[in-house]
Amino acid sequence: MTQTVLALVLGALFALGTYLVLRRDVVRVVWGVVVMSQAANLYLVTMGGLSGSVPVLEGHGFEGLTDPLVQALVLTAIVISFGTTALALVLTYRVYQGHGTISMEELGAEVEP
Amino acid sequence: MTDLVIAPLLVALATAVLSLFVRPFERLRAGVSLAGVAAYAVVVAALASEVLAGGTMTYQVGDWPAPFGITLVADGLSAFMLALTALVAVPTAIAGLRQVSERAQRVAYHPLFFFMLVGVSGAFLTGDVFNLFVWFEVLLMSSYVLVVIYGDPETTGATLRYVALNLVGSALMLVSIGGLYAVLGTLNMADMSRRLAGNAGVEPAAVVPALGLSAILFAVFALKAGVVPFHFWVPEVYRAAPTPVTAMLAGVVKKVGVYAMIRLVFTVFGGAAIDVSLPGVTGDALGFYGPVLFALAVASVALGGVGAVGRDDLPGLLAYSSISQVGFILLPVAIAATAGESVQVLALTAALVYALNHAVAKSMLFLVVGVIEDAVETVDMRSLGGIAGNAPGLGAAFFVGSLALVGIPPLSGFFGKLLIFDAAVQADALLALAAALGGAIFTIAYTSRAWNRAFWGDAPLSVEGMAPDRVVVGIVLLMAGALVVIGVGFDPVYRFAEAGAHAALDRQGYVDAVRFANATATGGGH
Repeated sequence: MTQTVLALVLGALFALGTYLVLRRDVVRVVWGVVVMSQAANLYLVTMGGLSGSVPVLEGHGFEGLTDPLVQALVLTAIVISFGTTALALVLTYRVYQGHGTISMEELGAEVEP
Repeated sequence: MTDLVIAPLLVALATAVLSLFVRPFERLRAGVSLAGVAAYAVVVAALASEVLAGGTMTYQVGDWPAPFGITLVADGLSAFMLALTALVAVPTAIAGLRQVSERAQRVAYHPLFFFMLVGVSGAFLTGDVFNLFVWFEVLLMSSYVLVVIYGDPETTGATLRYVALNLVGSALMLVSIGGLYAVLGTLNMADMSRRLAGNAGVEPAAVVPALGLSAILFAVFALKAGVVPFHFWVPEVYRAAPTPVTAMLAGVVKKVGVYAMIRLVFTVFGGAAIDVSLPGVTGDALGFYGPVLFALAVASVALGGVGAVGRDDLPGLLAYSSISQVGFILLPVAIAATAGESVQVLALTAALVYALNHAVAKSMLFLVVGVIEDAVETVDMRSLGGIAGNAPGLGAAFFVGSLALVGIPPLSGFFGKLLIFDAAVQADALLALAAALGGAIFTIAYTSRAWNRAFWGDAPLSVEGMAPDRVVVGIVLLMAGALVVIGVGFDPVYRFAEAGAHAALDRQGYVDAVRFANATATGGGH
């Protein structure tokens, strides 16, 4: 049950993230990237095994344990995505200040000489 | 002496932290930067000589035994890449003191430069896939800020796209790593390698899903290396960044992606027992990655070459040229993946030699462009000309760098190209031979075009009065000298690269060097 729900949630999150990344609005793109990296984090947690079996101990007679390793990994990943999200948001602000637009298309048009 | 493995990381990290505190003092921060990068070069040289003499060295971080803790592995391949990094970082750091604006240096340039060096060194040394992700993030985050450090409107737009793209890449990398952990039950590369190979005492893992998941990882590495079809960020970012940063990005950071591909394909998946039965693909994991690598390499060589010929600005030309040159580095890697064992060492040696040549030549060319930008205030070839007559030092350096890219003896590029052709002929890879030949012709076309338009001909007024920065001109001349020295005294470089190639192919040696806590602990059970 948990697995089905989480699989659906993950699918929805990745779909939402992808949709947002493809938008023209820079802020939406940043949101999309944030949703995607959070989806990746959630995915990472599920990879520890939801049924209580731990990949590193599989077949060794340990049952009903949750893998602590993926949680440590996710903690690292969350901190990293927190930092990069902050940077991306500041950049968005600076882009708006400098160009007066947050449309990816208008920004792209300025780049080519 | 295993502590030496972690020394490059510690030196770069200590310098980064120290330079945070000395930012306001101009002389002090320059001194700290120079001392730091010199110390980095010294410890890398010590590590490289130790590895070449005594074989692969490992360091278990925090004394946690493998595969439970993080293992740092310094083998021939890592040592070669670190040496390449040091060779580019030293001149770039000196040039950075002259070419980066005072304000940027005061704000954050020096700590970020060394944090990027920490990330690069960590990526080359780590033996753990998740740790590789962390080092990628360290170097990427520093590079984001380094690219946008001037904060003007032209750079913010480019950087935002660069950041968004790499954040998507990082999310995909996490997905791939999580999947690999679920399938293989380990994140240690040596452990993954022996599980995939189904070695004695270790259960044969589900190889096919692992291979599929590793393809996502491979795509992320290709994004970092900037090969076609993941190349579109390269020209924009290289133009936006200050030139010393571009020199590091093109010279070193790209090679991190190439290194990670070689490590993934040969060390981790090289021995995977698998029957791939896709149309046109047979055999093992190398048979799976070989055609992919080949397609990426040929497309990069071709599209990069065509793009470079059509550019009118020097940084854009050099950026497309690096797309093409990374294709040249991957071409022999593809040959090594598809050809028999007899050619593998030669082909990977060719890739490493070419990577070294490209790192030094391309970072030098970008520094030359930086000098032109500072002295003439334009890098558009349409409004340049006659630089060779007005600044002979710059002209000479650009000339040598171009010839190294083309591959004229006695420069280092000649041996790189020679080895690539040799490997292609020995492997009977006629298509690779044709691609390399066509790419070489494009290289001649765009370098001679840049030379004719910017360095020869009539000098406009702005060029006639140009006063190039003497220090940086001296540095680029030294780098040009290094290209000649590598070419003339090629034998030790060749042996170093060959040791790197052997290390990449010697999976058993890599697994043995990591020294797992208890050989039966992960397979036999207690």
